[in-house]
Parts: sequence; structure tokens; C-alpha cells
Amino acid sequence: MNVNLTLSFVLGLIVLVLLWGLSLSYGPVSIPVEAIWARLWGEDFPRSSWETIIVEYRLPKSITAILVGINLSISGLQMQTYFRNPLAGPYVLGVSSGAGLGVAITLMAGTALGWNLWGMTDGWVLFLAAALGAIGVLAIVSFTAWRVKDSMTLLIVGLMFGSLASALVALLSYFAAAEKLKMYTVWSLGSLGATTWPQLQLFGWATLIGLIPVFLVAKSFNAMLLGENYAQSLGINVGRLKWTMIVSTGLLTGSTTAFCGPIAFIGIAVPHIARLILKTTDHKILFPGAALLGAIILLACDSLSHLPGTASVLPINAITSLLGAPVVIWLIVRRNFSKEF
Amino acid sequence: MEAYRTILQANGLSIGYHQGKKKLTVAKDLNFNLEKGLLTCILGPNGVGKSTLLKTILGILPAISGDIKLFNQPLEKYSSQRLAKTIAIVLTERPPGGNLTVEQLVGLGRIPHTGWLGVLSQQDKKKIDTAIRLTKIEPLRKRRMGELSDGQIQIAMIARALAQDGDILILDEPTAHLDLANRWEIIHLLRRLAQISGKAILMVTHDLDQALENSDQLWLMPPQQEMIGGPPEDLLIQGKLDLLLPTGSLALDRETGKLFSAKSSRLPPFTGSPKYQKWAKNFLRKIPHSAIESFHLEDNPFSIQIAIHGKTQYFESFEHLRFFLLQH
Repeated sequence: MNVNLTLSFVLGLIVLVLLWGLSLSYGPVSIPVEAIWARLWGEDFPRSSWETIIVEYRLPKSITAILVGINLSISGLQMQTYFRNPLAGPYVLGVSSGAGLGVAITLMAGTALGWNLWGMTDGWVLFLAAALGAIGVLAIVSFTAWRVKDSMTLLIVGLMFGSLASALVALLSYFAAAEKLKMYTVWSLGSLGATTWPQLQLFGWATLIGLIPVFLVAKSFNAMLLGENYAQSLGINVGRLKWTMIVSTGLLTGSTTAFCGPIAFIGIAVPHIARLILKTTDHKILFPGAALLGAIILLACDSLSHLPGTASVLPINAITSLLGAPVVIWLIVRRNFSKEF
Repeated sequence: MEAYRTILQANGLSIGYHQGKKKLTVAKDLNFNLEKGLLTCILGPNGVGKSTLLKTILGILPAISGDIKLFNQPLEKYSSQRLAKTIAIVLTERPPGGNLTVEQLVGLGRIPHTGWLGVLSQQDKKKIDTAIRLTKIEPLRKRRMGELSDGQIQIAMIARALAQDGDILILDEPTAHLDLANRWEIIHLLRRLAQISGKAILMVTHDLDQALENSDQLWLMPPQQEMIGGPPEDLLIQGKLDLLLPTGSLALDRETGKLFSAKSSRLPPFTGSPKYQKWAKNFLRKIPHSAIESFHLEDNPFSIQIAIHGKTQYFESFEHLRFFLLQH
């Protein structure tokens, strides 16, 4: 690894720590960074309410932001290389639509069909519904992947299932009661702040398990840069790589969507920015690079979502789209997108 | 001697696709020997099973029946990893990957030889350097693939295949999209590589001229018939190459190796300087000439003398001759 690359990574880590500190200190109640630093070394906060705010609210939220950033960026990078399509993102296989469908059924089918699922606002119930929906769509897409060998077909099938799920959600929305529809809309705007510690634990495990295979097959992704045929001739088992990619992105984006709702553009934009900054196509550098960059960007978006001086928080999905869409457009205009890989 | 030079050998090989329990045979009873140090070209019309044969050799499709042996061991015993260390490929289409530099591209050829992280050792780097030197693309080393012409890309892909360091190099119509100069350069590069590296180079091509002129060995795959192997010169003289052509309408000139319409009438007897006889024949094939009784050529100064309807006529150029023939 050359000096520039090491420097980029060290710099990235410093920015990450700084942003993390900022996201802990910044909010409706401002908590000085020094106090947080002191708390880290065992001193108590001057006010006991700060302890609650940090431990129960801001810390889980910032960790969630970091995990979401890592998961979506890594998924996006895998998809873009595997499908050799610069616009592929973690949601192309219909994962988020599936999760959305799960949540929509849980929240809205009650009014449409006349039954009422217990409480239904509880975080775990929504998580379960989203996870089941994501897994359901992934299972169908996987079955298709097992039947068809062509990666383009897989991409199109994923998009079709996504549209199908969205259509079902639209039908459900049409018949749903107003307050349930609002609950669904709020879920679909995404939120980093809804994860509790026990959920965060599960999220962490899902992330860890989803990341391990990726780092084991970084070399295979490099071979995929030349397309499936060349990869195969280099001794890469393309079929196994496909399953690694499906399982990994399923776990990473599935858990993210289940806990935080759909979060747009991070998965598409971050891998491109990482390639641009690191000036490499080598996945053993790109994977950690994209993960770091994703975490940084999500933390920054989280800080931006707090309106200064008020307690309101803007929906995270809106922030990432507002930032992400111009970045993707800029990339398309500035560079030849097809030469991006 | 022959057994020693042979790298890949097939006996009674049938190739095709497995569709569930059904087997779709594309070509059967194939026999061939692929020898090291030779440039071998596969010639055959579309749909005869050339691609299927390549996929079978690459281990992507299992053989339907018969033997195929790599270094005297059945091909199916090879793992994909081991096969990758023995056989490298170059395909027709320009691959994606525009942001890779040529050096990185060639480095990808080392993937079967590196550990799970793919870190290049000193030896790997040496092999990459050798591949770049042999293909003479040192000036392109730091250039990105997106900036290269189609011809340069194919040469870089050949360098990548060399870095893979197998004994066999397989190319599937590598020059199909290239212009004349690039075709020439690539085929001569392959000739040189076969000689100096001792690899067996197997190339599918539709370019009959180049195959005749530059290959050491031809594998003919005529439709519905047995595969024929041999040096192009033998096959041409024995008339075996005509098997590739539609019966009766096209044939190959045994002397020049050029295609001509078999329906065209016989040429008149030629006398005089032999220097431009080839071009005289070339000219006559394009125009009705049955009335010409004899054809005499002088090269310095150039003149044409023909006997037609019992009379003798002189011409200074083919243009004048054509003018005359078209009027009669």
C-alpha cells in the first residue's frame, strides 16, 4: 500500500472520530465534547440527564448511522461490480421494496382486511415485518438466480419484483386508514433514531456476518471487473460469488432496512466517491474505503438532519437523497460513467 | 516425439449441452492433438460448434462422451483453479473495466497464482513485467483501459493471458472487430509468442487468408463431417479446405489460396511474363471472358495481348481491356 493511500485512510479515520464526537454533542441539548471525552475516561457528567441522552439516545443512534453507512456502501459496491452496472445499488434486488411490503402489510392490511395486529407500533414488530418482507423477496430472487445463469436477467427480475411489491403497497395504501398510512409514510422516510440497544446488538451481528464473506472474496470481485467469462477463466467460481453477493447484500441491506427503513442513494453514490478519492479499482482497498466513507457520510447526514435550535429531526432519507442525487448527477456529467470502474 | 509435444488430446469426443436429463449434441467424434509451440487455428462456419468446443476445453461444459486429456490426464479431473493455471483466454468483445490501468489489467492474470487476498509477490511482478515486455506495450503501462484503442486492448488482453502463465492460450476471434493493420500485428504477435514461449496457441477465426498464411496447424470443422487437422498447406493442396465452402458454388484456388466462384468458366491459357499473371486472373474472374482464346502478358513496358474470335488485340491497361470486353 502506498503512502497516499495510507494517508487517506488515516485522514478518514480522524474525520470519522471527529464527526462521531460532533454527532454525540450536537442536538436539541448541546453537550460539550470535553464532557463526553471526560465521561469516556470514567468521570461523571455534570448533569445526570446528559447520561440518559448520550447512552439511551445519541450513542445508539450514531452507532446505527455508522453501521448503516458501512452496510449500504459495501452492498452497493458488490452490486456494481457483480452486475458491472454503475447504477446498481443495494436495493436493485428488491430488498427495500420487500421490506416496505412487509411493513405495509403489518400496518395497513389491518384496516383493509378488518383485523388488528397487536399494537403494531412496537419497534420489534416493524422490524420483524420488514425483515420477513426483505427475506421473502430475496428468497424469490434467489430462486430465480438459481434457475437463470445470466446476471442481467437477475437484475431485471429484481427490479420487477421491486415494482410488484410497490404496486401492492400502493393498493394497501389506497384502502388504509389515514393514521396507518401516515405511520407507513413515516417509516418509509427512514430513521436512524429508532434502534434500541438490544436491536443494535442484533444489527451489529447481522453486519458482522454479512461483511465476513465480502472480505474473503475481494480477489474474486477484482476478477469480475473483466466480466463473467474472464473471471471464470481465472478460476473464479462465479456461481459461488453470486450466492455470496446475494447472501451478503441480503443481510446487510435487509437488516438496515428493517431497523431504519429504506435509505436512498448511499449505496449508489458512496462506491463511486470511494473510487474517485482512492483512484483504484482494487477491491481489497475499495471495500474498507467505501465502508469508511459510508460511515462518515451517514454520520454527517445525521448531524445535518437536526434543525438547529429545535427538537425536530428531518427524515434521514430526504437528507441522503438531497445530498446523494446531486453527487450522482455530478458524477455522470463530469466523468464518463461507464469508464468509472 | 509427437506424444511429447502434445498438450491437449481428444479421442472420439462429443460436445454439447446438458439440458436437465436431455443431452444436446452439437458435434461428435472429434479427434485432435494440440501441440506446444504451434499456432493452431480453428476454421468452420457459424453454428458448427467452435464455441462449444472452446467451452469444453475450458471446463465450462462437460464433454458428452469420449475422452479429452490435458497432459495425459482427463480434463474433468482438473479443478477450475488448476485449469486457470494451465489455460488462459482472450475473447472477441472489449471487456468492461475502463478504469483499470494496463499494468493492473495484466496483473489480474496472476489471480490464480496469488493467495486469498490477491497480493502480488516479487515473482508475480516479474511475470507481469515479462508479459508486458513480450507484447511490447511498455509505453501503455500506466494508461487506463478506457483510453486505449480496440487493437491496443486486445494486445493488453494477450499480455494478461501471458501473465496467467499457462501452457495453452485460447483466443476466440480476437481480431474480429479490428482493422487490417491491427489484425496483422496481433496475428504476428501470436506467431512470435508461439515460437519463443513454446505455448500452444489455439485461435478461432473466420479470417481464412490469415489462417492460411500464418497458422502452423488448422483444425477444420466442416458441417456434418469429421473434423480434419493438418498444416494449412497440406489441407489446401489436398482440397480439404473446400469442405468448408458451400458445395459447387465456391472453391479455393490451389495456387493462391484465394476464394473464387466455382461456376465461373475456365481461364484462357497464359503466356508471356508470369509476374502479373495473378492479377490478370484476378481481373478475369470479375468479367465475362469466355471468348478469350489466349492471354499474353508483357511486364516491361506493361501490355496485354489477347486472342479473341481469331483476332489479336493489344491493350495498355486492364481498364482498356475491360472497355473492349464490355463492348463485345
